[in-house]
Amino acid sequence: MTQTPSFRDVEKLSAYLDGQLKPSEVARLESRLQSEPQLASILKDLRQARGLLRQLPQRRAPRNFTLTPKMVGQKPPMPRTYPIFRFATVMAALFLFLTFATNFMAPRLVRTAAPYPYGLGGGGGGGEAEPELQMETAPEASAGAEAAEPMEEPAEPEALAPPEREPAAPAPTPEPSAAEDNARAEPTVGPSEKSGVQEVPTGEGFAQQTAPDEVEQAQPASPLFSTLVQIVLAAVAVLSGLIALILRYIAIHKWRAKAK
Amino acid sequence: MDEPALIQDAQRGDLDSFNTLVLNYQDMLFNTALRIMGDADSAADATQEAFLSAFRAIKSFRGGSFKSWLLRTVTNACYDELRRQKRRPTTPLEPVMDDGEEMETPRWLADPSMGPEEAAEIDELEHAIQHCLDELPVEFRSVVVLTDIQGMDYKEAARAVRVPLGTIKSRLARARLRMRECLQGFWELLPTAFRLEDEDLRT
Repeated sequence: MTQTPSFRDVEKLSAYLDGQLKPSEVARLESRLQSEPQLASILKDLRQARGLLRQLPQRRAPRNFTLTPKMVGQKPPMPRTYPIFRFATVMAALFLFLTFATNFMAPRLVRTAAPYPYGLGGGGGGGEAEPELQMETAPEASAGAEAAEPMEEPAEPEALAPPEREPAAPAPTPEPSAAEDNARAEPTVGPSEKSGVQEVPTGEGFAQQTAPDEVEQAQPASPLFSTLVQIVLAAVAVLSGLIALILRYIAIHKWRAKAK
Repeated sequence: MDEPALIQDAQRGDLDSFNTLVLNYQDMLFNTALRIMGDADSAADATQEAFLSAFRAIKSFRGGSFKSWLLRTVTNACYDELRRQKRRPTTPLEPVMDDGEEMETPRWLADPSMGPEEAAEIDELEHAIQHCLDELPVEFRSVVVLTDIQGMDYKEAARAVRVPLGTIKSRLARARLRMRECLQGFWELLPTAFRLEDEDLRT
């Protein structure tokens, strides 16, 4: 290999081999090749290397590289009604879940919100679930109230006042005493019941003594969404889901049969 | 085979038409990948990936040489595969003898996936050339493979590897010189018919 020719000369020789030079460049290079043996030697080397590369045998592909629908992410065409049934399934299932969640959560939300209406003199504003709360606590509270009757007497005049007219400030006065009295008078009360009493310190004795009408209203809380609604939703979810699945199965089956 | 019609059908999403094109070009793409990657398994992976990419991008094919377009795709797939291998290196390519010395014969380059008969008739020339190709930087190797092995012209090769025409000329000249120097080391291994002095090799 020669040192004299530049790499630019080598590039030209390589391009010359491939017929990539302009006619004028070809004529100039060929005249140099006649007079410069080093240049001719490089041309020989390049030609030999290219010749060897072209001798490489072509191998057959070891397998077929054809693509499958799965590989390219193709999906079978679904009937027009398929997305409707799928949407119906999803929505029915969602609403069904919401009905359960609402029925489950609503009484708890009301219970935690209850002290404020009573404490602020807004009695009767506790929502539909309030009577249920009173039902849970009222019997013990009344028992407690009976047992502690002498001690509670001073508080009665205040408690007898209608809750609607009661200003916010005096209301708390009987509450702690009633709650404490209940706790003292009823030592066998379980922890959960105690906590119920503590959660709603204003409700029990007060409701028992002053508002018998509300006790009558204290029926078991009826859920916001009836069981019938839930059954209907469940039926819609299951049926539309089944129809969607059948439609999908038929579409895939036809598509595969066609592909074969 | 009506290639333009098949391409049009494939552009409309017809997988069968595209697979007909695959069957027609898979040997060419596999060979290109084999020479760039240096081993059959990686070459098969790159070829499969290239056809997958080609199907996904076939709507962007705006005419011209479909062969060149596919070669460009497989070259890109090889680059991706090489980058992936570089990130996650596996087994070393060069085996060693029992005494720890590296094997000097190019026989180790024999591809086990080529079948027992082919393996028995190891082509010394092929493996010597493949060894020298593997010694080249990948950007030089791809240019040599596309031009000298697949017969692309400079413009097509420039489009395939996305470099200017002058870079193709330069890389090709350097690669050929390096190949010539490398093959000198396998002189005794080469059959007489392939000796470098044999002027019959000139085309």
